Parts: sequence; structure tokens; C-alpha cells
Amino acid sequence: MSTHTLDTGKMHSVEELEELAFELRTKLLQLCGTYEGAVHIGGDLSAADIFTALFEYGLRVDPTDIANPARDRFVLSKGHAAVCMYIAMAIRGFFSYDGIAETYGQLDSAYGMHPCKVQLPGVECSTGSLGHGLPLAVGMALGARHRGEGHRVVCLLGDGETGEGSVWEAAMAARSNELGNLVAFVDRNRQLMTSFAEERVVFEPYPDKWRAFGWNVVQADGHDMAQLVAAIDALPPADSDRPTVVICDTVKGKGVDFMEANLAWHAGSLGAADLERAMAALAASREKETV
Amino acid sequence: MPVTFTFGEMLSARSVIGSTLAELGAEHENLWVLTPDIGATLVEFRDAYPDRFLDVGLAEQACVGIAAGLAYDGNIPVVSGMLPFLSMRALEQIRTDVCYPNLPVKIIGTHGGLVGNGGSTHYAVEDLALMCALTNMTVTSIGDPLMVGEILRQSMAMTGPLYIRLAVGKKDKVLYEPGEHDIRIGKGIVAREGTDATIFTHGTTVAQALDAADALAKDGRSVRVVDMFTLKPIDEELVVRCAQETDGRFVVLEDHLAYGGLATRIADVVADKGVHLTAFERLGIPQVYAGFGDDEELRDKHGYGLDATIAAVRRIIAAH
Repeated sequence: MSTHTLDTGKMHSVEELEELAFELRTKLLQLCGTYEGAVHIGGDLSAADIFTALFEYGLRVDPTDIANPARDRFVLSKGHAAVCMYIAMAIRGFFSYDGIAETYGQLDSAYGMHPCKVQLPGVECSTGSLGHGLPLAVGMALGARHRGEGHRVVCLLGDGETGEGSVWEAAMAARSNELGNLVAFVDRNRQLMTSFAEERVVFEPYPDKWRAFGWNVVQADGHDMAQLVAAIDALPPADSDRPTVVICDTVKGKGVDFMEANLAWHAGSLGAADLERAMAALAASREKETV
Repeated sequence: MPVTFTFGEMLSARSVIGSTLAELGAEHENLWVLTPDIGATLVEFRDAYPDRFLDVGLAEQACVGIAAGLAYDGNIPVVSGMLPFLSMRALEQIRTDVCYPNLPVKIIGTHGGLVGNGGSTHYAVEDLALMCALTNMTVTSIGDPLMVGEILRQSMAMTGPLYIRLAVGKKDKVLYEPGEHDIRIGKGIVAREGTDATIFTHGTTVAQALDAADALAKDGRSVRVVDMFTLKPIDEELVVRCAQETDGRFVVLEDHLAYGGLATRIADVVADKGVHLTAFERLGIPQVYAGFGDDEELRDKHGYGLDATIAAVRRIIAAH
């Protein structure tokens, strides 16, 4: 009997979630080591704990019944983190990791650099161009609210992409329509592709910007599983009237010392030698955190 | 309330949109209407179904994205606004959020062409080129105000996206008696029969083409007028037939850039199907920002008014 059903969200302890996040990072590095093209490994690693917290704890989804109308909807606005989402979904049981690893980026694969709903029905929508996810999520939340359904719509954004004006158009629409069933997570890794965020674009005071748009703002360490779990547990009920943003402080490349906060690792691939080095770094990082 | 009309008189396409959407809202409980602050036309729907009406304010990109989210959620969203902004500012949302996943979102709007006297920020003159370039998009341009209602009704069964272009939509000439033509998305309308030449046109210039054909009839010329209101998919069979039946003489008249719109669509059919033409002229906006003036003045200034249309038909009939 599958343990993965709609009714068994929040099924893991913090320690188990940390273990699953380690597994996710390991699989990400493996793929980055075998695939010859670029993997957005920096932003995958910054979001890995958030993905784990969502797919293994926060989201009520059923891998065996992907179209269940009562499921929570997940919208990946930072579409370049698609492979992290695929693997997180694979760990949750949506599809097999081997299928991803064997076909990623290849002709006719369902798994590519940015998610495509048509090619991979298990994902909720097609994204990739930045600043598109939050408006899509607002539409889904409106539809759910209109039918009186109690599920949530959860959208993961990168902080860099909140430079897109469409994000703030959607933020206004969400507040104006009292969409308490909408939750945004921001992977606040403070890096754009070619610069550290505050060097080129002043985002601060970042939480105040969301507050000014009328959102309920929660801040968390995006690599502290206990804090992510607490943020999920404290979400207002889906029938409340204010959207929530969980701003997660993260580090791009988290877990692999030579990738962390390193502009060279927005995207790339690992050769055999670097894969070994990255795996060792990941293991060392894990050991340090569990001591 | 049903719209009443008289053939040949003026009617507001906007009022037809308003009444049709209200009617369809009763039949389709998943029909939503969204607008970026251009909602005056939509009052009937808004009042009848306030919980399925959304005015997002001045936010075209979010408006289209939200519509796509609603469509993912199983709804039929209609986005209504001014086309210069919907077709350009929200172009990427239309392409990526709507067309890529092939969602049943309808984009309907006013100010297609050099209408409204707003100046070049407020003219949609590139929109058909842009929309025709989008995979999965069906592209229409409507002149007869009553047709708007018919197209909206037909669109309820469509699984993919639809673009509906109107001119100003406040005062439009009723061109067709109901039932006079079999109006089907994807099929052109032979608005007037003729054998010496065909004028292909769409939208607001259909009435002008009919006037041109009337004027030419006084010279003894028999000019066919085709209302090619669906630009994509184009009615290829009708294009081929017109070449055969009107001596291979085509004028394409449109309130859009002369390159990229209907003329380009028809030229593509001609090239792809190996159609033999005797003469081909395109009348539309040259590569200029058109300036201020009313519709008729601007069409005259830029070489595609009534006189220019008549002259073009005479030229192609004189050719060879």
C-alpha cells in the first residue's frame, strides 16, 4: 500500500526531511555529473530544502492520482529549477529517478531544462520564462476559491525573478482578491545569473516590499528544515483572506563548498573528477551540520 | 438583452460582446471574463456573474497569466481589452502561458488598426503578424458586429486559444443578414461575388471593399470581396478557388502593416500551393508610425483608403 496519498501530507520528521534533502542533493549532483549540458545546479541546490519540505511535508499531493481535484497545486515560477523539481517529485514517487537521469535533456524526453505540462502531465504548468508563475498561481487560486475548494496553490519563485514587473502585478491581484489559499515561497539566494543581487539591483527592504503589497510575510532560513516545517505548519487556513509569502534565506550552491555563492555555478556540468569532489563536499557539509 | 439591429445600419460590436458574454455566462458556469481596466463593455456579465469577473487594473501581463491559470484550472477565460497593449505588452504571456500549453483562453479586444485617433501608441498594427506567428493560436479579425457574437459562441467548444480583433467597436456597419452566410472559424466569407478580381480583406475594411466593388460595378467590373476574417488557419481552398475564378487577380486590403498580416498569409498560400496569379497588390500601412487623424483620413494618407482600393483594382485588371 502506498504511503503517498493526499491524506498523508506532513508525514516526515525534521530528521527524515533532512535525509531526503540530502538524497535530493546527491541525485542532483549525480545528474549534473552525467549530463553533458548545463544544469542550473546553483539555484537547484539553494531550493533543495524548500522542494523537500514542500513535496515531502507541505503539499497534499498524490503521486498515484496526479489529477486528484483536491490536491494542492504547485507552480514552479523559477522554471530553471525544473530538474530539482523532477527529482523531488521522483523521490515522492511521481516518477522514477532513473527515467530522469537516463533521458534528461535528450530528444523526446519529458524532462528538460524547463518544465512542460504537455510533455510531463505530472507538473501543473509550463514555465521557464521568469515572472510568469505567480500570475498563473493567482488564476488557479481564484478558480479554487470560486468553487469553494479547500486546497492551496503554492508557487516557488526565485528572488531574482521578482525583478519582473508581472510578479508585482500578480501580487496586487492576489491581495485585491483576498487569496488566502495562495502561498508563495521565495528562494532568496541573493544571486542573479551574472551578479550578486544587491550589487546591481537593490531588493532590500525585501520583506517590506511584500508587506506593502498586503501580503502576510513569513521569514525563514531556507536551509533549516525545522524552520521550513514551522512556516508550513503556521500557514493561515486556505479560506483566509490574505496571501502568504515565505521568504527563505538561502545560499546558491548550498551544500557544495566550491559552488556556494559562486557566480560560476549558476549553471554548469560536472565531469567525473568534479563530481567526486562535489560528492565529497556534500558529504562533508552534511557531516558538519549533523555534528 | 438580445441586441436588435438593422442591416446596413450601425451597431456597436462592444454591445454584442457584452450581451453575448452574459448569455454564454449562463450556459457555461466555467466562463470567466477578465480585463485590464477596459470593462465598460462587460457590465452585463459583471453584474450577472460578479464572482467570475475580474478587473485586474492596469496589468495586462498578469491579466493574461491569471487567465491561463484559470484555464489550467478547467475554466474558459475571456480576456477583453485594448489590443495594442494585450497583443504586445502581454505577448510573452500569450505565447508562453496560453499558446505553449494550448489553453482555451480567448483574447478579444478593440483598437485593431488605425482607429480611435489615439496615435501610434494606441494603434494595433502589428498584432496580426505577432498572433499569426504563435503556434496553436487561431487568429480572427471581425468587421460585422453581429459576427462577434457568433464567433464567441463557436469559441466555447475550442480547446485552444483564440484571438479576436475588432476596430473601435463602438459604431460598426452591419454587413450580413443573419443566416446569409455560413460563418465558421477557419472559413472565409464571399461577401460579394465577382469574376474579374478578388479583394481579400478583414475587419473594418470589409465595408470599404464592398463600397469599392459597388463603385467598380458602375464601370462594368465584377469584383469579388472575400471577408477573410480568419487569418489563421487561413482558408486555403478559398484562396485557390478565387485565383481560378477571378482571373488570378488579387488585391489584399487591410488595416494592418502591409507586410505580416493577411497579405502575407495569402502570399504564403500562393507560394505554397503553386497558385498562378496574374496580379497581386497589397494595400495596408507602410512601415511608418501613422500619426493622428480619423480612420478614413489615415487610410487615405497611407494609401489604402477607398480611392486607393478602387485604383488598385483597376490597375490589376489592366495588367496583362
